[in-house]
Amino acid sequence: MNRTTLRFAALASAATLVLTACGRDDDNEGTASGPGITSEPCPDAVDDSKGCIYLGVISDLTGPFAPVGVPLTAGGKAFWDKVNADGGIGDYEVNVTEYVRDNKYSPDTHAQVYGQIKDKVLAMAQSLGTVATEAMLRDADAESLVVLPATLGSNWIFEDRVTEIGTSYCAEAMNSVDYGVDELGATGVAAIHFEGDYGDDAAVGAKIAAEARDVDFTDITMAPGGDAAPVVAELMRSKANLVVISTSPTELAQVVGGAAQAGFRGKFIGSIPTWNKALLGTPAKPALEALYLWASSFPGWDADTAGHEAMRAAAEAAKQDPNEYFALGWSGAYVMKAALEKAIEDDDLSREGLLKAATSLTGVDSQGMLPDGSGNYAGDPNEAAVRSTFLLKPAETGSSGATVEVDAFTGPTAEGYDFKEACYLQK
Amino acid sequence: MTVSPVARSRRSRPLRGRPELYTSYRQDMALLNTRGKRVSVLLMVLVAAVLPMLLTDEFLTIAATGMVFAIGAIGLNLLTGYAGQVSLGHAFFVGVGAYTAAYLSGDPDGRYLGLGVDNVLIWLPAAGLVAAATGFLVAPIATRLRGLYLAVVTLGLVFIGEYVFSEWRELSGGGGIGREAATPILFGNNLARDGASYTEEQKLYWLFLVTLIVLAVLARNLARSKIGRAFAAVRDRDVAAGVMGVELSRYKLIAFTVSSFYAGVCGALMFVGVGQFGPTQFGLLMSIQFIAMVLIGGVATISGSIMGAMLIAALPRISSELPALFSFISTAPNEHPNIFEIEQVTYGVLIVAFLLFEPRGLFGIWWRARTYWKSFPFSY
Repeated sequence: MNRTTLRFAALASAATLVLTACGRDDDNEGTASGPGITSEPCPDAVDDSKGCIYLGVISDLTGPFAPVGVPLTAGGKAFWDKVNADGGIGDYEVNVTEYVRDNKYSPDTHAQVYGQIKDKVLAMAQSLGTVATEAMLRDADAESLVVLPATLGSNWIFEDRVTEIGTSYCAEAMNSVDYGVDELGATGVAAIHFEGDYGDDAAVGAKIAAEARDVDFTDITMAPGGDAAPVVAELMRSKANLVVISTSPTELAQVVGGAAQAGFRGKFIGSIPTWNKALLGTPAKPALEALYLWASSFPGWDADTAGHEAMRAAAEAAKQDPNEYFALGWSGAYVMKAALEKAIEDDDLSREGLLKAATSLTGVDSQGMLPDGSGNYAGDPNEAAVRSTFLLKPAETGSSGATVEVDAFTGPTAEGYDFKEACYLQK
Repeated sequence: MTVSPVARSRRSRPLRGRPELYTSYRQDMALLNTRGKRVSVLLMVLVAAVLPMLLTDEFLTIAATGMVFAIGAIGLNLLTGYAGQVSLGHAFFVGVGAYTAAYLSGDPDGRYLGLGVDNVLIWLPAAGLVAAATGFLVAPIATRLRGLYLAVVTLGLVFIGEYVFSEWRELSGGGGIGREAATPILFGNNLARDGASYTEEQKLYWLFLVTLIVLAVLARNLARSKIGRAFAAVRDRDVAAGVMGVELSRYKLIAFTVSSFYAGVCGALMFVGVGQFGPTQFGLLMSIQFIAMVLIGGVATISGSIMGAMLIAALPRISSELPALFSFISTAPNEHPNIFEIEQVTYGVLIVAFLLFEPRGLFGIWWRARTYWKSFPFSY
């Protein structure tokens, strides 16, 4: 045998030894029931005798949607802190802080951080971004992962693993148009919107309703940070007197302010992400007070329900300013709590068990925080779709800068609409 | 039988115990010209090949991402590091590759454009070739410019690309929605699904590793050939290179085309593991990320590009370990300073620090370490 052959033989045997001796450990961490559940207490546990359920959070904490992701995450944490302080769920406390990751609103970062935590969490208490969440659900290890989404696109009603909350942007826009036609005498509707899962979803909803109500419809897209002047000009040309707007607060202020100056006399109704209390400190304030209504399926920070009261107390304790995303983070957690309780009741606390529990829910007790009909994941998508909407009005008196103007209602278009696929795909 | 002296010198082996004594030009120019290099490269490849049996999926994903980045970084290094043509447009070519692959392998009956050709061996080279063709088309414009002007023109490419990708909804799905990435089928085996014996992460890792090795060797060969020397001449002083007979437009064209090919392959593989991607990802940030890999790794080195790409891919993971070391860094996103903010800053600090203290990049560190041990114990 010459030297080269010897060398290769040595290498090969070394490699074999390495391979056989220390093969990787493919078992999931945790107990027999699966990942994310331990009989050890949570870090910072209230009661050391309880086990721990770990839920993951992947949100946008430093990217373009950080103003949404950060308070949403804080709201969820506050909710579970309260649940744990009140004795946890069954023999467990719930931890949503150990596996918080930032996706910077990028799907590949999302996938990478999901890879970090997937063996350590039972379910996802938050996942922000439609592309990123859809990508995560494609992962082979997400087959029975229950996910609470941080978007209100109409796509989620078609996905079993996603426990969407609230009215979709699409159904909300239908209600806005119905309200405009019935109560404000609207004869022409314009949708001013971002492109993508959020803006397109609302625009398609507005279009469906405009066609159903036989009023004119104009579609106007706007880029984030884009120039408002051409948008306002197009709006004035369209002769629309009702605008369904789905942008961010910055564009809202520019467009409404610009329209007021141009002599617009109709009404703007904005999707949930359009409102921010800080707008009341801008020069657009009088225009917004006169022309703008904020559509939301949630009754707002000051609502008089047991859930809101507990949430406000927790926010005060956490020195959190009134913020609707904080409230949303809190409200959504009721769904996860109900699913966990059901899984424990069924004695099957595993990913599969939790998915089974979540998809068997027909309603969730949210102490009045979630709209009527929420939490029904058992039926087909059209039964699951929540369709009611509140309209709020900018007002200094409201803690989050808005007070309820019109109580929850469902317009005729949304009421009878048959969802077959996500609205934004029909653009 | 007599052997002519020329033939003998061609086949001549290096003398034992005299690693740096070359008896022929061929030996001097060999890909692995010392035994140390031969053995260490062989070892590294072996270790890389068995890593999937040792590491968990989490670390495999990071390594796999690093390898895909490395392919793109090698491409940019050929263009910027070797040929001296600063390009901010790399993300555009990555996008062209990603969409070519997704188009070829997409479901013909699906919502988005697709041909249903899901064999890796077809869509992977095709993605590279289409990106290379795009680079070939752009190159003539670029060859008329240099320095900052070239950088700004290639920056324009990124914006054009982002617009086209976002608006061409049948292909890309549009911003905020996206489409499915290419499906990697190799010999009837879907590499993006967990199999009976190997997981998705393990199979993709091996696919990426083989692709990287092939492309890295090709790039190294290109760099040490006539073309590589012409690149260096163009980079160091293009006027002088032209005077010496290096045809500038030709070599800039080659540099752009080859670099785009690498970017295309990188793009085709980049989202295979993730499964879904949107048009906004091919923005300026991605271009800058590739420039960072080249600068941190080492300009005009292939191994440096790989090291830089690995570091950038692992950076989020490294910075997520920081709070354990520094108790004042919070993990709660609503407190400041928190780990997520630190992660953003680390990135910038790393680039500044490397340019200041280690302008030759990770490769420079390796070079010094090697020289130290080579002259041990007489190292100064």
